[in-house]
Amino acid sequence: MFDPAVLAQIFWTGLATSSYMVLFTIAFALVLKVMKLWNFAQAGMMAIAFYAMYAAVNRFAWPTAAAVVFGFAIALAATLAFEIWGLRTLRARRSSSLLFFIFTLVCSEFAAYVLTLAFGTEPVPLFPEILSPVRLVGQIAVSDWDLLGVGMTLVLGTALALYLRFSRDGQFLLAVSDNAELAELYGISAKRVYLVTFSIATVFVCAGMYLYGSRTAVIPTAPLQLMLFAVIATLLGGMGSVTGGAAAAVALSLLQSYSVLVIPSRWQGLILYVFLFVTILFFPGGVRRGFKGA
Amino acid sequence: MSAVLQLEGICKRFGGIVVADDITLDLERGQILGLIGPNGAGKTSLFNIITGVVPADAGDIRVNGESAAGRGVHERARMGIARTWQNMRLFRTMTVLENMVVAPRQYAGESMARLCFRPAAVRRADGEACEQAAAILERMQLGHLADSAVTDLPYGQQKLVGLARALMNDGPCLLLDEPMAGVEGHAYETMRAVVRQEAQAGRAVCVVEHNISFIKDLCTSAVFMSAGRILERGRIADLLASKTLAELYFGT
Amino acid sequence: MEYVYSILILVGIYVVLASSFNLIIGKAGLVSIAHPIFFALGAYTSGLLAIHFGLNPFAGAAAGAAVAGVFSLMISLPSLRVSGDYLLITSIGFQLGLLQVIKNLELTGSQGGLSNIPTPIAGPQRGWVFSAVALAAAAATVLLIRWIVRGPYGRAINAMRDDELAFVALGRDATRIKIVIFAVGCALAGVAGAIYAFYFQYLSPDQFEILASGTMLTMVVVGGMGSTWGPVVGAVLLLALPQAITFLRLPLSYMAPLQGMIFTLLVIVFLFLRPQGLVAPEPPAPLRHKKP
Repeated sequence: MFDPAVLAQIFWTGLATSSYMVLFTIAFALVLKVMKLWNFAQAGMMAIAFYAMYAAVNRFAWPTAAAVVFGFAIALAATLAFEIWGLRTLRARRSSSLLFFIFTLVCSEFAAYVLTLAFGTEPVPLFPEILSPVRLVGQIAVSDWDLLGVGMTLVLGTALALYLRFSRDGQFLLAVSDNAELAELYGISAKRVYLVTFSIATVFVCAGMYLYGSRTAVIPTAPLQLMLFAVIATLLGGMGSVTGGAAAAVALSLLQSYSVLVIPSRWQGLILYVFLFVTILFFPGGVRRGFKGA
Repeated sequence: MSAVLQLEGICKRFGGIVVADDITLDLERGQILGLIGPNGAGKTSLFNIITGVVPADAGDIRVNGESAAGRGVHERARMGIARTWQNMRLFRTMTVLENMVVAPRQYAGESMARLCFRPAAVRRADGEACEQAAAILERMQLGHLADSAVTDLPYGQQKLVGLARALMNDGPCLLLDEPMAGVEGHAYETMRAVVRQEAQAGRAVCVVEHNISFIKDLCTSAVFMSAGRILERGRIADLLASKTLAELYFGT
Repeated sequence: MEYVYSILILVGIYVVLASSFNLIIGKAGLVSIAHPIFFALGAYTSGLLAIHFGLNPFAGAAAGAAVAGVFSLMISLPSLRVSGDYLLITSIGFQLGLLQVIKNLELTGSQGGLSNIPTPIAGPQRGWVFSAVALAAAAATVLLIRWIVRGPYGRAINAMRDDELAFVALGRDATRIKIVIFAVGCALAGVAGAIYAFYFQYLSPDQFEILASGTMLTMVVVGGMGSTWGPVVGAVLLLALPQAITFLRLPLSYMAPLQGMIFTLLVIVFLFLRPQGLVAPEPPAPLRHKKP
């Protein structure tokens, strides 16, 4: 049972599975960091991105690349509409955090219902074929999907890091996340930065849904569950730290994979919540900050 | 005579900014102490540290000899530290009287158990708080405004309500944060008279104020702060005569 | 007739739920969405006690309320120490985590749900007795909340919502007030759960998911957050709505999402066009002030 080859296999598969979780967490943590918003509408963005790609592939029979672009375009349009006509109004009214929360959550639910009407509750995968070719590296089975997932996550993560570090827009993003009012005084438009942030988040959401959907069948309410993982990882990583959130997402995924060895599979789903509670009880500032403080 | 409020070696820094650097200070019964200094000297921060809004990094605070270290904001208020705020922070959906009735040191109505099992006692305490509030308002010539919404009042009167609310706390120590900013005429006179009466009745008062004539009028002594440190303490006249302080305060 | 009774009972139950939820989010300003799980705790507690110990329904309801109230502390004690955002996240985690447990325990009937809850009364009177009990519970809840918010406690809650820091600096223990209000609201949801369990005799874990939180939020937001009568109006209206859609005779697979879509759309429309809801919050009770 604790054969090193098995452990290594679990590690690799867990790492690959964490790819889309990392992408979702980065999207969630980035929005929280820059906009100070717990964006529960992300589940809606995820669902819209997936079903747009699904429709393009299965109903219009478009090639994959076109489908991905189409999914991104639709999700981006929905997200920007949500920001421009929704969040801006709430911000202008200085609404309480409760209203922001209700609005974002209800947007996700609305999207889920509309998509249920359009596509039904039958689970559907993005492509008819969800198994991908596997090869053996040493004793470890590595599928094409695994490689695509890990590769895509690394590329996108690095691109974001470089963008934040070196581009002008990226600097603006960091400035606004630091202090929106002060940044505004220096002539940085928070409005524009928020649009940019949402666009980046949409890229990550689409990439994540492409990976998830090409391996698993999706129902319109599935993204709500997936988003929750991102929320917990964000919390564990120290609210608003994007790298911390991504690291927490990897750690949580690996932990879930390894727990197969010791915990019956039907209790798997619970691990996440146990972690959430431990975090809240003992590390209210996120794990890293918690250790630093101690 | 022992001090009502004692600060001993209070230190606090936010990142690189020092807001309190080894502050030691005694406040005695009947004293009105002026706290002066340029903007950003740490005067309001000192109030926040005393009331527990911001925890101190080091040092001790004692009220009538009892240490307040480790106690929360509400516990310190119950120990008898009353304060006002620069921007008043009135409860804006409530009337003047309601603002005051929730403000006594002990508020019977905040315990659900007492509300359920001893409703008569709560009602009695509520009635007493109403009377106490009415008496304070009368003293401040605001009696006729008791039932007005606080947001309907002119600025100067809102400031007075802020003080009136703090006076509901009958504790020994009163901290006033810029009570005179934006207050003129009649309200000014009332404010001055009431603060003086409170000190005469035995409260220890500490005032942060930029209005030097108000400080000169009222305070028996003063402390000059800059960059989180007490630079000088003594009689008002002496402090104002000091050339270095004047330069620090008014710039060069 | 049974149809009318079941609607009346649902109205009673949802008035209790929406009003108590409003006490938490609207009056005290606490950001939680876990209300359905306290509804579930009340329902499962009273149902299980009735199945295994034949406990009488009133004792069952009391036990349901107590369990819901005590469990609420598991969320409020750790998270309220930190900040408002935390309660939100903890409440979501608690709701979904506990549902996961319910779905996996043999005791609670796992995925299939808990069935065979014994009914305390059978026969032709069942419908109207249950309707009377449910509506009485609704009335009692509204009156209890009215009593809380109009008295000295309500004044304190109001002040806390206006400016928490100033409130605390007056010597008020805001954390305790929040914990108590949260527990009271959750206990009321537990009572609603007990009524549900005894009338419908069957509980499915799926009905307590996040989507149920959405339904309750809709009732509160559309009815009027922070007003005492708003959630009552909201609950009645939103229970009438699905009945109205029934007359469209759509296939069942369209009904549920269509209803959900209308609900969520209503919330969005109200948030932007009429944020105060149908019934605006009433001004606080005037203080009896004896002029000297």
